[in-house]
Formats: sequence, structure tokens, C-alpha cells
Amino acid sequence: METTLVPHSTVPNLFSQYRLGAAFDEMFAEPGRPRSHYQTLFQRLQGIAPEEFRRRKTMTDLSMLQDGCGFTVYRQEEGIERVWPMDPVPRIVPASEWLHIETGLVQRLTALNLFLKDVYHEQKILRDGVIDARLVYEGQFFRHEFVGAKVPKDIYIHICGTDLVRDDTGNYLVLEDNGRTPSGVSYMLQNRQVLKRVFPQVFEQYDVRATDDYPAALLDVLRFIAPNRQHEPTIVLLTPGIFNSAYFEHTFLAQRMGIELVEGRDLVVDRNRVFMRTTHGLAHVDVIYRRVDDDFLDPLTFRTGSTLGVAGLVNAYRAGNVSLANSIGTGIADDKGIYPFVPDMIRYYLSEDPILDNVETFRPLVKSHLSHILANLDKLVVKTVNESGGSGMMIGPHSTAAQRAEFHDLVRARPRDYIAQPTIQLSQHPTFVDGHLEGRHVDLRPFVLCGEKITIVPGALTRVALPRGSLVVNSSQGGGSKDTWVLADDRLRQTAEPRLARI
Amino acid sequence: MLSRVADALFWMSRYLERAEHVARLLDVCFHSEIDLHGVISGPHELQWTALATILQLPPRMPRGDGQPHATLGRSLAFDTENPMSIISCISRARYNARSIRGTINSDIWKELNKLYWQLSDDAFCREAQQSPHEFYSAVETGSHLVQGVCDATMIHNEGWQFIQLGKYLERADKTLRILDVQYHLLHQSMDPDDLPLSNLLWAGVLRSCHAYEAYQGLYVGRVEPERVVEFLLMHPGFPRSVLFSLEVAARSLSEIEAAGGGREASKAARILGRVLNDLRYAEADQIIHGDLHGFVSSVLERCAQASSAVQLQYALR
Repeated sequence: METTLVPHSTVPNLFSQYRLGAAFDEMFAEPGRPRSHYQTLFQRLQGIAPEEFRRRKTMTDLSMLQDGCGFTVYRQEEGIERVWPMDPVPRIVPASEWLHIETGLVQRLTALNLFLKDVYHEQKILRDGVIDARLVYEGQFFRHEFVGAKVPKDIYIHICGTDLVRDDTGNYLVLEDNGRTPSGVSYMLQNRQVLKRVFPQVFEQYDVRATDDYPAALLDVLRFIAPNRQHEPTIVLLTPGIFNSAYFEHTFLAQRMGIELVEGRDLVVDRNRVFMRTTHGLAHVDVIYRRVDDDFLDPLTFRTGSTLGVAGLVNAYRAGNVSLANSIGTGIADDKGIYPFVPDMIRYYLSEDPILDNVETFRPLVKSHLSHILANLDKLVVKTVNESGGSGMMIGPHSTAAQRAEFHDLVRARPRDYIAQPTIQLSQHPTFVDGHLEGRHVDLRPFVLCGEKITIVPGALTRVALPRGSLVVNSSQGGGSKDTWVLADDRLRQTAEPRLARI
Repeated sequence: MLSRVADALFWMSRYLERAEHVARLLDVCFHSEIDLHGVISGPHELQWTALATILQLPPRMPRGDGQPHATLGRSLAFDTENPMSIISCISRARYNARSIRGTINSDIWKELNKLYWQLSDDAFCREAQQSPHEFYSAVETGSHLVQGVCDATMIHNEGWQFIQLGKYLERADKTLRILDVQYHLLHQSMDPDDLPLSNLLWAGVLRSCHAYEAYQGLYVGRVEPERVVEFLLMHPGFPRSVLFSLEVAARSLSEIEAAGGGREASKAARILGRVLNDLRYAEADQIIHGDLHGFVSSVLERCAQASSAVQLQYALR
């Protein structure tokens, strides 16, 4: 059922064409009635003429372009720069919801790190039959070379970008744990800066929690895992280089943390110690925040032809002379084949019930699941276990008969390689499209840091699927992003006194 | 500091300075072409030939529709295939800056990035065809902005010294080439008694080095070739003279060496030291009335040697 929110009038209004659909709407409880935490924002937006809003949107884009907040997409041989569009309507997460997300993620990451320590050492969870050992051994991201290796402080995942979505009742569900080299945090920080610059008025009367602490918090984690030494550790960020799609983020974080941004060719390993080449000779490196995937990290251990990493790095790591974040082999924890078992892990290691639910997941390996999947291909999302970034998947309701036939055969032939989930609608959020606001689907990626303790900077990246009806929020596939506000207190400030007056 | 980063800072700065010089040379060419129409008739190859020689363009000038001058002007402004073009220089400066965004601060990047996007904007370039001066002055202003932000916001540490080194080696190089080519050309082709014409052309030489107003502050009357040469070669306080540029370059080099705790002067420092001696103690008259071309070439040659020695020593490639 679709209803128009605001009666048509002669005065142009941003919401004049806004419609609610089947999905949970972040702003509206029902037509024309915003949820309490959106009330003030809604009123403010209603007072802004679409033309004025368009002007601010243009300022946002220009600001992003000039700051160089681009990502690189590949077309033919040359990478071209694109700006990741930011939508100026912020997404608001009330304090009570944030508390739920925060405790849920702390619990989840605690379990994931225990799981990684376990599968790379004693493998109790496999021997106890909670998880089928073959799922681990045959997982593309399980590093057999790393079984038995000790990692600093037993932390494997230091930085995790977990993707959450909301079902049609608004319940938060974990869609994916990104525990390898998750990106996007720079946009979380940058979006706030840009929105404050171009739209300061929308912040009035909201107590939005600051996110600026993230680089310092990340640096704390990196310091915490440094090999035991007397001196202040030398920490570097290892980037694949200027052509990597997340290069902007690498430079951004290196600069905010005040650490050196290095490429593989800047590093050299000598007698199991890592050095960087400087203008005055070699300088010792203690901790590497690496944004290079396992496969490319060390041509001596992994992919031999790679020039992105450093020969000998893995041995230096094993020897305990250098620390890596994230550790090697964390990909098995965010493997889609392992994902359905995370709630079991939480029960197994922590004896607690999961606070955040998974999206219901069917595994073709289970007979009853297989028949359910094959009978409902038009309703399910089928994903390959080893792909990320929205490729290698089929969204049933948006698929063609030919695609369904293809996946029918694929799932039967290689049941281990696929999972299927009901098509989650994803919540929708007012988003500026063609001169007015329309509902677009969003997800939520908070960034979890695991060091001395597990912390989450109060904020997240909200990705938004810009094409109408699209459920794919990835930046490479027509997505945008939004500033995401975590509120300090759900009660709105009572006075309408503007902030500036108090300075 | 990482060698790769030092290299990128050095080249970012050199390319930016180069773009500024190309823009100014083009601007002067267009202006003097207009001026010359009123003074002498016939084709005005002179300035364009000088431009091509200063920038060491291949002998065959780009040709296309319309006048070759306009074609050369367009090529030097917009042609991404032409390595000397403004857009090539700016995009290489930006490429280098981009590879070290963790090191330079966001304001430096923002100014350089803004300049790049402005010059890449089709509408802006179309307008620039109509009034080239706007285009050139955007480049010049953009370059000054980036340089200004570097000086005003960076810690004047090793990285900043590499920026200085790149900038001043490039500036000395261009000033030397302008002097060399123009002096030769103007002497060869001009009636020494035609004072208004001489004044016009030598003022152009000064403008090419952004030195016209500074020169006028010192000397009254018509522009005199000998004074121009002396001023551009060895004025100790003019920040675009060869002497000044190489003094700064040498100082930056010794700061960089000091940062590494080195006690012996490097090869590059020794080369620069000798060139500076020649410049500091030279008699302007003797150079000008003797072998100016020989003197300038020898300075140029040794600047190039110093530049290579720096790159070798700091393993910049």
C-alpha cells in the first residue's frame, strides 16, 4: 500500500512525493507522522525549499570532489576517480537503539576472536561438532600456514566493519561481518565534516555524539599490539597504492593518526625484522596496519607474483618482530559459509544468547534447506560464499528466469559454495533524488575496534542504494552514503535556543 | 622520511613550478603578439620560436587548423599528450601529491586538487580559448596558493625542504633558459637602435620571469638588456633570480643532510657550492660582453647534475 505523505499544495515541499512502502521507514512511523527522534529534522526539512536543498546538495558534491574523497573504479586499464555521493539528509540512531547495537557487536566480536584463536590452535569447536570442520578447512580464507602461530594478545580481528540491516519491523540484523580489511570509516568521518560545513542548521536541537575520536582510538589499538619494546613503536599503514579503490581512506587515516603511509616497495625484511626505506637509510617498523589482503601480503608465503606486499613479512610476523592488524587468516570468520554459525559460536564460547540476530540463512548442504532454496529461488537472495562487494549473487525477486536456472544448477552442483537468505527489504530513508525526497534503502556499518577492550566509536557509515527499489548499497554499484547520527540522549533538548548563541 | 615520499614532494613541487612558468611564458607571448602588431609588420615568429626553444619542444611544432601559434598555444595549455603542457604538469604534480596524501596536509591537497579540477573543466577551458589570460592567471594563482599553503602550514622539516629544493631548482632552470634563449634571439634579430621595440621585448623577458615590477622598482627608464641579465642572474634578494634560487636550494640541501646527521657535504651540495661561487663573485659586465651563452649553459648543466645527484643520493628512484 502506498500513500502520499503530504497533501499536494502549491508550495513546493521536499516531501511532496514521499511514499511509504513495505520496508521499515527510518523517519516515518506512518504517513505524515515522523518517529519522535526525527520530528525536529522533519520540521526543519519541510521549511527548506527544494531549490535551496539542491544548492546545498551541489555544495556537498563539490566539497567531496575538492577534498578528493573519491574512490577508484576500473574501466579498461586506467582507474578513474569518482566521488562517492553523500546524501545530505542524515540518518538518526537513537541512544537506546545504539546501546543495543553496541552491546550486540561487542558480544559478537568477542566470540569471533575466540573462534579465530580456537580454529588456529586447539580447534575445540570443530572437535565438539558445533561447526563442520570441512567448512573451515575448505574455506577459501582459512590459512593453513597459520595454524599454531601465536598472535599478539590473541587478537585476530582488530578492526571490524559489521553490516547491519533492518527488517520490516525495524529489527536490526547482522548481514555480514567484515573482518579482513574493512573500509568506509573515512566516509563516516568525512560525511560529518561536510554536513557540518554545508548544512549546519540541521544539527540544531540535536545532541549528536562526536566521531572524531576514531583515529586516536585506532592508534591505541595499534599501540596495544606492538611487540614488547621499551621505545614508542613505529606504526605504519600499508596501502596497495594509489590505484586501490580505498586509497583515499588510507591517506586519510595515516594522516589523522600521524603515521607513515607506506607501499610494499617502501618496506624490506632483513633477518625477520621489517624496515622502511627512508632518505637516511633503513628505519625499523613495529606495527603494520595493513590494508592489503592476505593473498598479496607476502609473495614468499602467499601469491607469488604479487608486488603489493613484502617478501618475508609473514615470517617476521610469526617471529613476533612485527605486529599486523588485522591478523592473517581472519577471513574464515567472515566467510559466508561460517556466518550461519556465529550465533552458535556466541553460545559455545560465551554461554550467552546472541543480542543481535543473523539474517535467516539456508545452507544447501542441509537437505531440507536445499529443497527449500530450489523451490523458492524467486524469493531468496543466493550468495556465493567467497565473494564480497555485491558480485556473485542473485536477488530472487529481481532475477530473470535464465539467472534462476543458472543458480539452480550452480547450487546443486556446488552446495558448499552457496548460501541463501530471504530477501530482506532493508529499511528505507528519505533521500534527495531529482529535486525531492524519496525513500531509498539503507544499511548500517559501525566500526568495531578490538584492543585492550572492544570499543565502537558512536557513529557508523550508512550506505544508501540510490536507484529506486535497489537493495545493493555498494559504492561500486550505484550506492551513496549518509552522515549517521548517534544521539547522546533520546530526549530532545527542550529549548529552541540555537547552539551558536552559547559560544 | 620515506624516500618515495621525498621523491614525490620534490616532483610535485617541480611540476607545479614548471606549470606556472609555462603559463607565464604563454601569457607573455600572447600579449607581445598583440603589442608587436602595432610596432612591426609581418609575421611574429620571434616570440613563439623563443618559447619553443625555452621549453625544449621538438623542432616540428604542432600544426593544425588555423594559425600555428594558436595551435601551439592550445597544445601547451590543454594537450595531455604534450608533456610540457600546463595540464600535463598540473596533473603530474597532483599525481605525486596524491601518492603522498598521508604526508602533505589536506589544505595543500585541496588547493592543488581544486586547480586540477578547474583546469579539467570543459566550460572553463572553452572560455579560456576566448580570453587566455584568465586561464594563465588561474594557473599562476593556483600555483602561488599551493606554494603559499605549503610555506604557511607545513612544519619546515625535511619534507618541506624537498619541496623547496624542487621548486628552486626548477625556477633556476627556467630563468636560465629564458635568459639564454632570449638574449641570443633578441641580439640577433633586433636593430639595437630601435629603443621602443627593445623596451617592449625586454620587458617581455622580465614578465616571463615575473620580474618586471621588481626590476622597475630598481631602475628607472627603458628596460636595458644588460641590467636585465644582471638582475635575473645575480640579484641576491630577488626570489626569482638564479643566484637567489640556487642559494635556497643549497640551503635546503644542507638542512636535509643535517637531518640525517651527515657531516660531509654530498656531491650535489659540492656542485651547487661551486656554481654559487661562480655566481656570487662574477663580474656582470664580463659575462654579458663575453660568453654569456657559455656561462649560462655551464650553470644549467651543473644544475642538472646537482638534481641527478640528489635523486641518486636519496634513492629517489
